[in-house]
Amino acid sequence: MKLDPRTKLFMVFVVSLIVMMSAITPFLWAIRLSITLIPIILMILEKKYSSALKFLLAYASALVLMFYFLSEQSEGLIASLLIGYCGIVVQFMPALITAWYVVRTTKIGEFMSCMQKMHVPDGIAVSLAVVMRFFPTIKEEYSSINDAMRMRGVMLGGGNVLRMFEFRMIPLLFSCVNIGEELSAAAITRGLGGEVKRSSVIELKLGIADFFLMAFLTAATVIFVVFKYFL
Amino acid sequence: MSIVELENVNFQYKGSKDGSLNNINLNIEKGQTVLLCGASGSGKTSIIRLINGLIPHYYSGELEGDIRVAGHDVKKTELHELAGTVGTVFQNPRSQFFSVDTDGEIAFGPENIGLEPKEIKARLNDVVAEMDLDELLGRSIFDLSGGQKQRIACASVAALLPDIILLDEPSSNLDFDSIELLRGTILEWKRQGKTIIISEHRLWYLKDAVDRVIYMENGVMAKEWTGEEFKGLNEEEVKSYKLRPIVLEEELIRDIRGESTSSFCDVENNIELNDFFFSYKRRPYLLFKKKFKESDGDLLNLNIPSLKIPKGKVIGLVGPNGTGKSTFLRCLCGLEGDCKGAIVSDGKIYKARQRLKICYLVMQDVNHQLFTDSVKSEVMLSMKDEDEKRCDEILESLGLLDYKDTHPMALSGGQKQRVAIASAIASGAEILLFDEPTSGLDYSHMEKVGELLNELASTGASVIVSTHDPELISECCDYVLGIKHGKAVYLKENKKL
Amino acid sequence: MENTSKKLKAKDFITVGIFAAILFAVEFAFGMLGYIHPYIVASYVIILPLASGIPMMLFYTKVEKFGMITILSILLAIIMFIGGMGYLGAPLIIGAGVIADLIAKSGQYKSFKKIVISFGIFNLWICANYFPILVTAESYRQDLIDGGYSAEYANNLFAAINVKTIGVLVVLCFIFGCIGAVIGKAVVKKHFEKAGIV
Repeated sequence: MKLDPRTKLFMVFVVSLIVMMSAITPFLWAIRLSITLIPIILMILEKKYSSALKFLLAYASALVLMFYFLSEQSEGLIASLLIGYCGIVVQFMPALITAWYVVRTTKIGEFMSCMQKMHVPDGIAVSLAVVMRFFPTIKEEYSSINDAMRMRGVMLGGGNVLRMFEFRMIPLLFSCVNIGEELSAAAITRGLGGEVKRSSVIELKLGIADFFLMAFLTAATVIFVVFKYFL
Repeated sequence: MSIVELENVNFQYKGSKDGSLNNINLNIEKGQTVLLCGASGSGKTSIIRLINGLIPHYYSGELEGDIRVAGHDVKKTELHELAGTVGTVFQNPRSQFFSVDTDGEIAFGPENIGLEPKEIKARLNDVVAEMDLDELLGRSIFDLSGGQKQRIACASVAALLPDIILLDEPSSNLDFDSIELLRGTILEWKRQGKTIIISEHRLWYLKDAVDRVIYMENGVMAKEWTGEEFKGLNEEEVKSYKLRPIVLEEELIRDIRGESTSSFCDVENNIELNDFFFSYKRRPYLLFKKKFKESDGDLLNLNIPSLKIPKGKVIGLVGPNGTGKSTFLRCLCGLEGDCKGAIVSDGKIYKARQRLKICYLVMQDVNHQLFTDSVKSEVMLSMKDEDEKRCDEILESLGLLDYKDTHPMALSGGQKQRVAIASAIASGAEILLFDEPTSGLDYSHMEKVGELLNELASTGASVIVSTHDPELISECCDYVLGIKHGKAVYLKENKKL
Repeated sequence: MENTSKKLKAKDFITVGIFAAILFAVEFAFGMLGYIHPYIVASYVIILPLASGIPMMLFYTKVEKFGMITILSILLAIIMFIGGMGYLGAPLIIGAGVIADLIAKSGQYKSFKKIVISFGIFNLWICANYFPILVTAESYRQDLIDGGYSAEYANNLFAAINVKTIGVLVVLCFIFGCIGAVIGKAVVKKHFEKAGIV
């Protein structure tokens, strides 16, 4: 399914907003869960079955743990670790998974076009686009560095926490700075940063799915806020 | 009519003598194809950067003289104004992309100069048709091979319809077949009447395309040939200029493409590899990984049930890109934990993590494997018991002793590679693996790497080197091992020069 | 790049984007620790400035014009918002960024003293993430408990972060920002300057 990037951004916004407000009644939980299901359904539509299933299992197990095994009275180290795990999964995973979905399925060109439509200055749009483009690069570089560390047997920095950090950070920064230099040079020689207004080959158009999803998200947000704070 | 004019140009980078230029006078006519050759650091890349304006607008330094490109005074022209006139294909396909998807990358340039969407689409279609890119459209850049990335880079430059196209060592990361495609692209541009300037170490693929060849040495234009003269140079002359060969032997080409008809030769003193299976696709199961065996066939990216390789020799690992060379190296040295293969050497069996101890892989991008702030501590890091004397010996043997206290990142590419080799030796690894160690090197550096590999083998280490350089194979490999579709297809003895 | 004009160029925007991505990767790696125990949430003011000191000092060597630090803080605010860290903090993050930018500018982005202070201020974005805990203390506590957290976690969180300790946290954040800057600078000297990259 092809969604407009504006819809996707709106979805990120709504999901981030709703996970920040905790659900206190079963009804609010129902809204929150249905919002969380949206990125999962979208992932399945994108054929990312494995990620969708993993997320679903993690989320479900965290919920079950939270409601049946942990309570207001839980104390002790293990409970506190479990709370930590559940906290991450329940509170942050929906937002992260949505963001991940958006980054994975939005082309840089679409994103730039969307930013233009929303009158975001070109500079900030370029910076944000680079952030999006750079995550996979960091991942790639980091895994190469990790390989090299494993080969040299310095994964634990010889037992020194600072070296553990240094050995990962320094080569990563060297690589990123180099790639950045070359990336800028290649982008500028292809005309980035000129005075003319950038155009965009992608013409964005909101489809039925977009309107439907946006309406649903808006409604969910309004109902959530009204029921939580005013009723 | 000259489209590029360099007049009395002198240039020196800020804080570095490398790549400086001395009194360059160069006129290039419209429609000419010019090749710049010569050793690394001789100023080839600097000339490219003068023409696309990266010098002085991006790389600063002291610049004298006049540079005029298609009527623009480059010194006074902003970089983005040159975008529709001069296009540049860079060396490293990994870093020259702005977008993540291929279509967006081709449209990126035209969007920057503010063309109408309709016009951009038309150009996109033209470029795709001309360069036969249909199968690459709509894909993520991160899933493409080096050769495919380079084709997209060429397309994204062509979409701006520049009159002048510059290529800075474009074949560095490509295999034989990708280089053939690159040659096709260059010939197509030539047919369209574009002015093309190429800086390159690999020469064989350009011999029929170029009109002029300029030989650079220490920042001066030391020699110039016409295309015809260049083709006529004999092997001795080419060697005397320290250039890579212009003509490749047919047999070597077959070898390098993994298409030799040889089978497996017998080796007495050997290392045995057993059960090396591996796949990047894990689709059959959702939550846990599949254990692979030989019968999985096409699913496997590496499928080597058993193989005997010679010990204490240099073995060239060949075959087209994407058919399993790097996977083989990664599995062999134990970096892919899912590959359960075993190495049998001297009657001892090494499995899983133990493989990491007897193997050492020198990566294609050595920058990833240098961690400390001096060459000396880099080598010491690899030793189980720190031994300064041994460290000095190793550095001495690699000619690095003078750089003992230098930061590894401050060294040249070849020196960094030797630091990585030094730590490999220090770690006591018996099997040394090299992933395309000579891809961006000039002839004399390549020769040095070849000598070094032979020296390593003479101390008893088994050296396996994956490569696309026929020159390297003929210089230093005792054996050639062909890999295709994840399978070992032949192992043959090689006559060294 | 020699640059006479004060306007930011494409290269600057790309640099900001790259460092924002790196910074986020570092925050993310350490941020996840916070759920183990609330005291770790409070100790972000120490861990994060120290960890981000190295990339940030490298970033500062690339800043020559006003706006780069500000844009970095805008990107950070957006990323933190998406990461579910709350919308109340976003203006504060950007505010800290602008002030940090102005301070560094007053030293022409060269004076190390000014850079130290600037980075100290920049780090207040970490405290901005505590903001919702403060302003909505009582309802937030109830939220946490209703949302499935144990009372112990909530109590610990409020023992660590409340109106009384926030002053201490802000000061700590600033001080460790300065320390992070000094350490970061030392590492940049040890590696990047020695290698001739900056």
